[in-house]
Amino acid sequence: MLARVANNLFWMGRYIERSEHIARYLNVNYFSSLDAPNTQSQDRQFVLRSMQFMVGDPVLNNEVLEEEKVLYKIGLDPNFPASIINNVKQARENANSARDLISTELYEAINKFYHFVLKYNADAFVKNGLHDFTMNVAEMTAILRGKIRGTLLHDSVYAIIMLGVNIERATQIIRIINAKYHDALNAQGSYGDKFSHSFEWTTLLKCAESYDMMRRFYKKTPTSISTLEFLILNPNCPRSVMNSLNQVYHHIKILDPSKAYNKTSTAFLIGKVRSEYEYKYIEEIEEDIQLFIDQILKSLSEISKKMEKEFFNY
Amino acid sequence: MPLEYSITYKAENTYEHWVNDAHWQFLIIPENNASQEFVGVEFTNSLNAINEYSINGYGFKTIRVHPKQRFKTISFEASFRLIKKEVNPFDFQPEVDISKSYHRIQELVFKVDYESFLKRTRFTTLPNKNESLFQFDRTKSIFENLQILNEWTFTHIYFKTDVTDVETTLDEIIAKRHGVCQDFTHLFCALARQNGIPTRYVSGYLHQGNGYFGDSQMHAWAEAFVPEIGWLGFDPTNNLLANTSHIKIAHGKDYNDCSPLKGIVYTTGKNETKHTVKVASQQQQQ
Amino acid sequence: MGNLKNQMFSSYQQNPELYDEIYDNKGEVKTIYKKLFDIYGEHSIKDYVKLNDKAKSSFFNQGITFQVYDKKKTQEKIFPFDLFPRIIDPTEWEVIEKGAIQRSKALNLFLWDIYHEKNIIKQGIVPMELISSSVNYLDQMNGIDPPGGIYNHISGTDVIKHNDGKYYVLEDNIRCPSGVSYVICNRTALKRALFGVFNHYNTCSVTNYAENLLDLLETVKPKGVDVPNVIVITPGMYNSAFYEHSYLAKTMGVELVEGRDLFVENDFVYMKTIRGPEKVDVIYRRIDDAFIDPLEFKPDSTLGVPGLFAAYKKGNVTLANAPGTGVADDKAVYTYMPAIIKYYLNEEPILNNVHTYHCSRPDELKYVLEHVHELVIKPVDEAGGYGISIGNRLTKAEIEKVKKQLLAEPRKYVAQPIMSLSVHPTYIDGTKSFEQRHVDLRTFTVLGKDKEFVLKGGLTRVALQKGNLIVNSSQGGGSKDTWVLKN
Repeated sequence: MLARVANNLFWMGRYIERSEHIARYLNVNYFSSLDAPNTQSQDRQFVLRSMQFMVGDPVLNNEVLEEEKVLYKIGLDPNFPASIINNVKQARENANSARDLISTELYEAINKFYHFVLKYNADAFVKNGLHDFTMNVAEMTAILRGKIRGTLLHDSVYAIIMLGVNIERATQIIRIINAKYHDALNAQGSYGDKFSHSFEWTTLLKCAESYDMMRRFYKKTPTSISTLEFLILNPNCPRSVMNSLNQVYHHIKILDPSKAYNKTSTAFLIGKVRSEYEYKYIEEIEEDIQLFIDQILKSLSEISKKMEKEFFNY
Repeated sequence: MPLEYSITYKAENTYEHWVNDAHWQFLIIPENNASQEFVGVEFTNSLNAINEYSINGYGFKTIRVHPKQRFKTISFEASFRLIKKEVNPFDFQPEVDISKSYHRIQELVFKVDYESFLKRTRFTTLPNKNESLFQFDRTKSIFENLQILNEWTFTHIYFKTDVTDVETTLDEIIAKRHGVCQDFTHLFCALARQNGIPTRYVSGYLHQGNGYFGDSQMHAWAEAFVPEIGWLGFDPTNNLLANTSHIKIAHGKDYNDCSPLKGIVYTTGKNETKHTVKVASQQQQQ
Repeated sequence: MGNLKNQMFSSYQQNPELYDEIYDNKGEVKTIYKKLFDIYGEHSIKDYVKLNDKAKSSFFNQGITFQVYDKKKTQEKIFPFDLFPRIIDPTEWEVIEKGAIQRSKALNLFLWDIYHEKNIIKQGIVPMELISSSVNYLDQMNGIDPPGGIYNHISGTDVIKHNDGKYYVLEDNIRCPSGVSYVICNRTALKRALFGVFNHYNTCSVTNYAENLLDLLETVKPKGVDVPNVIVITPGMYNSAFYEHSYLAKTMGVELVEGRDLFVENDFVYMKTIRGPEKVDVIYRRIDDAFIDPLEFKPDSTLGVPGLFAAYKKGNVTLANAPGTGVADDKAVYTYMPAIIKYYLNEEPILNNVHTYHCSRPDELKYVLEHVHELVIKPVDEAGGYGISIGNRLTKAEIEKVKKQLLAEPRKYVAQPIMSLSVHPTYIDGTKSFEQRHVDLRTFTVLGKDKEFVLKGGLTRVALQKGNLIVNSSQGGGSKDTWVLKN
């Protein structure tokens, strides 16, 4: 496979995954805030700020945000690089240039997705289309995942897309944790709501589509520690960082099946990062959550850079 | 007596900003022919990039360089050694029957065989009004006419550097009557072709020891095909026939086919290129 | 107009001056179309509109689009597709197929000759200007023996049916003829929309193009290569034919590369893969000559590969089509095709050539200037239907303008009698009914070493504007599925 095309496939995977997480974040935060148990969590400004923080565009001053403007910016603004519409455009652009390698079915689904987002009426979206739009984006990405899994030969093409998907998933989960961690810190105090029992942990789990799984596993209301443990360390939760790292490791082995010891290879680095988290326990992480977040994001970006150098260099 | 030449070619390119990708193709290696025996080449570049020896589209030897790292300055140095046999430009049987040669150049087969070197190119197109600037005298042989054209070009154009460049076409040269070896050669080629004689643009080195015009870079002259004799070299810049001092690299329809250095450089901002050529000779001991 | 009980065609207007492919001159539906006519007649126009919309959105979702360049921006468009197929009977097809092969072979021999001995010119059969004033003649190709002796691996011959009922060749495209992917898409779209109709006809399949192309490209591998690595090179995803490039790569199962994916080292060509460099042997190139190697040709080309031509000249890689083939699809060469076929193959042309006047010849120029109103004036070196003037459509002022152009640069133009392209019932959105529209047929011929292949089918292109004779997609043309029936 061409190095350039591999790079495109990798980023196609990342952009598909990214658009899903942003869409769900908007949806879950907006709708769960409507009937949140405390005023802080119900506050519209609080939610809008959280959204901007999550897409990497934090609001630092005290300016009052306008709901429609924020929603438009993150959803459909072609001039905001991190908007959903731009992520979908990028996903399709990358798919286009690798069109000969992916299945007709997958390409057609991406193309449909693109036309759906492109044609979505911005006015309707900011006024009453948030649910419809974000649900559709999330559902279409689920279809894409199905097409990736079901219509591609599970060879290097598949492995590269899955590497993109999983590195992005881990990254987005961490970003969501980061955003909700900040929300939980900011929301404490009102009505005696403690950090560890913040309502925001439930929202966090929903943002990661993991609330039901978590309830089934712990059978208790989520707390800071159980939520973080589940989303970071539980290898059986398909959205957890650990699960993503395992997937990344599995797929890099398809690209680089060598068993020889080579400390400069991407596979080696991934293995190293993966085993580090495999033997971590949650109390260690809880000691300094911010430090953990910074470190894991750094590791993920190092993996991505190393892959670029080893496989995508053209 | 044969001469042993050593030629050094140096080029240094500097760029204002980083160059991330670049390709160069040098057309500077002397050719092997009846009068030139090529002994050796050494080529280096300051980035230690691989030097690939190849050919261009016309089969002349080239060196291609494609650095794999970014840079702002790169220099190249080439040295060649070759043995040049003593050339007597008049060492041929003159045309016995002049009309036979004039007849020959009218034949379709001749025109087709030499089609490449008879056609007008960007640099060998005469402005319409100048098409009869130089007419052959049919009472003289083709060779004599070419000699007269050589001298005519030499006296018609004044040698002057920095007034023309590699983009200058004949209309300007004829109007302003000055230029360098390349311009002399293009004019000579165009006028000979206008009279039905195939001509080639030749690029090469000139040994400057003898006070000839040229510059410290590369030299250019022409080769004309004379029926019954073959290709003969004319140096209109110096009003000479090509001789022992002329070391040929390549020929083509015009400068475009022979430019010594082609580069594709991906960068922005200003750049500067410096070339120097040194030709030294010594008598070969026999 | 007898049997128009059928509601689909009830408002179909027949112009008696035009050659209609489905009605004979008595207004009766031709035997070969009878079944199809009846089946379509079972539907109402309403059903048809629905099917038509479905087919359209299917093209859009599949991303089978091309881009049109306009002053402001490039636009993504669907190639308009008409659901009423064209049928060609097997005896007619045999003539087209044999004729296309004959022309491709003759052109190949012509190319070999003009890049070697040039005997056809020396013997005065074609004029020297065909090479000396053609911008597409590459001096660098002189003396090169392309692997397998093939220059025009892929040719697209455009034929039309004139009002005398005979096929004529309009032009031979041997640079980078495009459109073959649409042949296959049209078939797929028609099958999806109206699969029932196929039960009544024994139609040749068109899906075998890619495998035949790969098979024949492998026969022209460079010397010393056992199993050649074949690739397709594209200018990139913004090119109007990118869909086709990716389609061909995908169905041949080979890599689709851009210039930046390739590099030349020691005169061999390699592509940059995730596992390092991989040698490339045969390149089906969909970029024009001028762009393939910036060190040899256009220096500002970013689409090509520096050093590629040296690798080609050394015989280490095959380029299909070979560089310099464009000289033979110059419209001036077309006009000598009967002589070229006769000279190399000692055969009479199987397909007719349209008579052509060379404006470079004073007597013919004189005739052309006097008869502009009944001629088509074409520039010799433009593709895509640009720059064509059709005499009987011009105003007086326009005719004067054309005359001026002809006088200024006679060598640039040829003129032909206005051919009356046959018409075919075509669904027109504006009137929601079937109307007569002019059609042509692009055929696809592949030459390999001692082997050849013609796709049994082709691209029937239809001029959607009423009365328009120019069918190119860049000029608003559409297309139809084309059925070649089995014997």
